[in-house]
Amino acid sequence: MKLLSLNIQLFAHHKGQGSTSNGRDSAGRRLGAKIADGQRAKAGAIIYRQRGTKIFPGENVRRGNDDTLYTTVEGVVKYERLGKDKKQVSCYPTEK
Amino acid sequence: MIKVVLSAKNKELRKINILGHADYNFNGNDIVCSSVSSIMTTTVNGILRFNNKYISYQEKKDDFEIVINEHNEIVDNLIENMIDLFKELERDYPKNIKIEEEN
Repeated sequence: MKLLSLNIQLFAHHKGQGSTSNGRDSAGRRLGAKIADGQRAKAGAIIYRQRGTKIFPGENVRRGNDDTLYTTVEGVVKYERLGKDKKQVSCYPTEK
Repeated sequence: MIKVVLSAKNKELRKINILGHADYNFNGNDIVCSSVSSIMTTTVNGILRFNNKYISYQEKKDDFEIVINEHNEIVDNLIENMIDLFKELERDYPKNIKIEEEN
C-alpha cells in the first residue's frame, strides 16, 4: 500500500468554486437632462428623461406617459424652482 | 454530509468507510472536509509508515474504505485517535459529519 498524497478537499463536492445566481444587471437607461438651462429647443424636443417626476412640467412643457418632459413650442428652456422643494422646467418662446 | 461507518466483527473494528461530502462550503473552502481529509490521511500514512500491511485502503467514488488487516498497539491507537477526532468534528459540525457503528 503506497502512502496517500494529501488532498484536503477529498470529501468536498467536486464542482468548482461556488457559483452565484447574481451577476445580472440591465443596461443604463441614460436618464437625465437632454437640453440644458438657457438652450434653445424646437417644438416637441425632449428636455428631460426621468422616472417619476423629479422635475415637473412648467410652461409650454408636457409630460409623456414615461414621465419624459418635452416642449410644445420652440423657445428657450428654463429650469425653475417649484414651491419649496420642487423643480419645474419651462420653455419660453423668443423672437428669432 | 460525511458518514463515517465503523464496521466491527466479533466486537473488533474491521473496516472504516468514509462516505459522501461534508457540504459545509464550496470546494476549496470546505473546512470540515479538509479536517476529515487531513485526519484520515495522517492516520493512514502514519500506520503504513510502520508497516504497509497493517491496513489497506481503497478510494471509490464518494467512499474511502480502510480495512484493518492486523490489530496491534500502533494500529489500534492511531485508529482510535482518528475516530475520536472525527467524534469531536461531529460534535462541532453535526450537520456535516456523522459517525455510525455497524456490527
